[in-house]
Amino acid sequence: MAKKKNKAVLRPWCWYCEREFEDEKVLMQHQKAKHFKCSMCPRRLNTAGGLAVHIQQVHKLEPDQLPRIENALPGRDGYEVEIFGMEGIPAPDVADYKRRKEIELGLAIGSISQPPSKKPKIENRPLTEDELKAQLEAHKALMGASEKSAVPAPDASASSVVYNAAPTTYATPPVPAVPPVPPGMGMSPPPGMSPPPSGLPPFFPGAPPGYPGAPFMPPPPGMPGFPPGMPPPGFSPPPGFAMPPPGMMPPGAPPFPGGARPPFPPPPAFVPQGFSPPQPGAMSPPRIPAPAAVAPGAPGVLNMPFGGSPAPPPPQSASPPASAHPIAAAPMELKLPNPALAQTNPAFKKATQLKYADPNFSPDEKRAVHPKYRYIADGAADGQNENAQHEEARGKKRARAEDFL
Amino acid sequence: MPEQYELQSVPYDSISSVKFSPSNPDHLLATSWDTTVRFYDTAKNEQICKFDHRAAVLTCCFADGGHGYSGGLDTSVKQLNLEAEKAVSLGQHANAVSSMNWSKDTNHLITGSWDRTIRFWDPRASTPQQDSFDVPERVYLMDLVNNTLVVAMASRLFHIYDVRKMPEPTQTRESSLKFMTRALACMNDGQGYATASVEGRIAVEYFDPSPEAQEKKYAFKCHRQTIEDVDHVWPVNSLAFHPVYNTFASAGSDGTVSIWDHKLKKRMRQFPKYHSAIPSIAFNCDGSRLAVAVGYNWDGGAEGAQPMDKHSIYIRPLGDEVKPKGWTES
Repeated sequence: MAKKKNKAVLRPWCWYCEREFEDEKVLMQHQKAKHFKCSMCPRRLNTAGGLAVHIQQVHKLEPDQLPRIENALPGRDGYEVEIFGMEGIPAPDVADYKRRKEIELGLAIGSISQPPSKKPKIENRPLTEDELKAQLEAHKALMGASEKSAVPAPDASASSVVYNAAPTTYATPPVPAVPPVPPGMGMSPPPGMSPPPSGLPPFFPGAPPGYPGAPFMPPPPGMPGFPPGMPPPGFSPPPGFAMPPPGMMPPGAPPFPGGARPPFPPPPAFVPQGFSPPQPGAMSPPRIPAPAAVAPGAPGVLNMPFGGSPAPPPPQSASPPASAHPIAAAPMELKLPNPALAQTNPAFKKATQLKYADPNFSPDEKRAVHPKYRYIADGAADGQNENAQHEEARGKKRARAEDFL
Repeated sequence: MPEQYELQSVPYDSISSVKFSPSNPDHLLATSWDTTVRFYDTAKNEQICKFDHRAAVLTCCFADGGHGYSGGLDTSVKQLNLEAEKAVSLGQHANAVSSMNWSKDTNHLITGSWDRTIRFWDPRASTPQQDSFDVPERVYLMDLVNNTLVVAMASRLFHIYDVRKMPEPTQTRESSLKFMTRALACMNDGQGYATASVEGRIAVEYFDPSPEAQEKKYAFKCHRQTIEDVDHVWPVNSLAFHPVYNTFASAGSDGTVSIWDHKLKKRMRQFPKYHSAIPSIAFNCDGSRLAVAVGYNWDGGAEGAQPMDKHSIYIRPLGDEVKPKGWTES
């Protein structure tokens, strides 16, 4: 791997955690110490296979109980790949890594992969049409390849980076070049994903002037980006969904030419995230921290996949969007007891994926209103013990029944 | 001695809290979303008995070795007689009971609820509920050391009470963390408390309101990982102070448990990742064991749950990893 000429650019790196090292010796030491260390005894092994055998034989664990490899990136914590220093890294991962490295270093595509010519030509000129096309092809090919090798989602996000050299785009993979996408915003990335500058999410650029003040207002029918009764993602923009004309697309944006696979899997249900302030009563526009909003299921209550097509709630005056909850009939809704105290999460300086992003309701509160767990008090619950026995039995039965729902 | 072992007959659903007995280092209570409170002997690794609620149980506490209390979504506060294996309802809140503590100095049970009240109970009285105090927000967490009660609420509010001088709080604070409070634990020496938020961060704070003491408070990041230049930040779900060494453990949805020396501001140890999120941890009374509850805890809502989610309680015997460097018996 370490070809003389290449060494300057591509240093040995660890497949498990993508850290770079001075030389392979250090890399191997690192792997021994960080990834091939037995969690049950001080022993360090040389390879994942060695570790697996050690754990099975010394600690008598069945092969299916093996602990994952420590400190590894998601999806790379398995024993299937036998890594020894730089040996054994799956080819798609190597290519993927190189590509990202190239981008990071601002090198032309392919400059690392091929032995550099005598006079390294690194040009800082805009790419020509042909080059762009070639890159797109390469990207598509790679996307296919990395899919096969089961590179996990966070990794796959690297692919969207190809087109956008800015490091921040790593962070928010699905947002193609945030600022210069004027109309047509309503397209593929769910609106909530773009970081709302200055508090007001930039959805519906053409919104009526009164919009910013309204806490929640479904867009008037026919408005681009949010027609009522919009079908679930599928990702082919429904009619009336303005696809940005080719010219509009920033050169960096991952294109969606007819049926090309979008670089980021759509969220399970196209819930108009930006438009669903999870807190009825919160008067300030919802500020959903950028990428977190797409974290699988982050806005728990609103994101429940009920057939995947929660139609936007019918226009209601200014009243809180109670029907934003998928279980429309649910008598129990999460309501802020004191809307004046409503919280908003501050924005992050760095690209951040917050695993729990609702600032106003705890995971437990959300769970408590889920049909599986919801408690329905029967009758006047005045806390007397006399009929507790009877109530108990009934309640338990209900709880059990709900278990099977 | 094995590094850690898994308890038998664990709850079928997420474990909401684990608490060790104040007198018996082996006895453990665990509450669960499967509507049960289970009482374990962790040394024999067996379930001694189990109590049923009518809905998910969120919290429990011990009064003494033979009595415990529990509460949850069914809003009732139950006294558990651990020897007779009988449960008696003491009364009810207007909403889910989220937290409770036993005040051994005043012989009261203190409960906090999403109904925005704190209630005091005397289990021996004919009407057990003695008092109810309104607080501005839903109570998420409470902890008690000596007579100092710390109440962590939604909207990042904190009240600090002297339980002998209710109803007015001695101090009201806003969390120094910018995100929802998710964990709270008082130092055993009564000097202060540690709190943590959903945004992988822990703050160490002190009760003494003097500027010198307040200057010592600090916060730090933890339970996060940078993957591809994106910070992945998990909630810190539980904190627990070691009863002897005054170090503390933190557990997060990232599945890790770390031991911290808050005086030196150093991490002393991080245990290998568990298979899933960790909703609750607890030290036993002599500090020789750590209970770690593992399993999905609804951070990702219903769709984040895997049908095959495994819920476990691990008991980890502890050695010197929780002892600060240069610790001398004092």
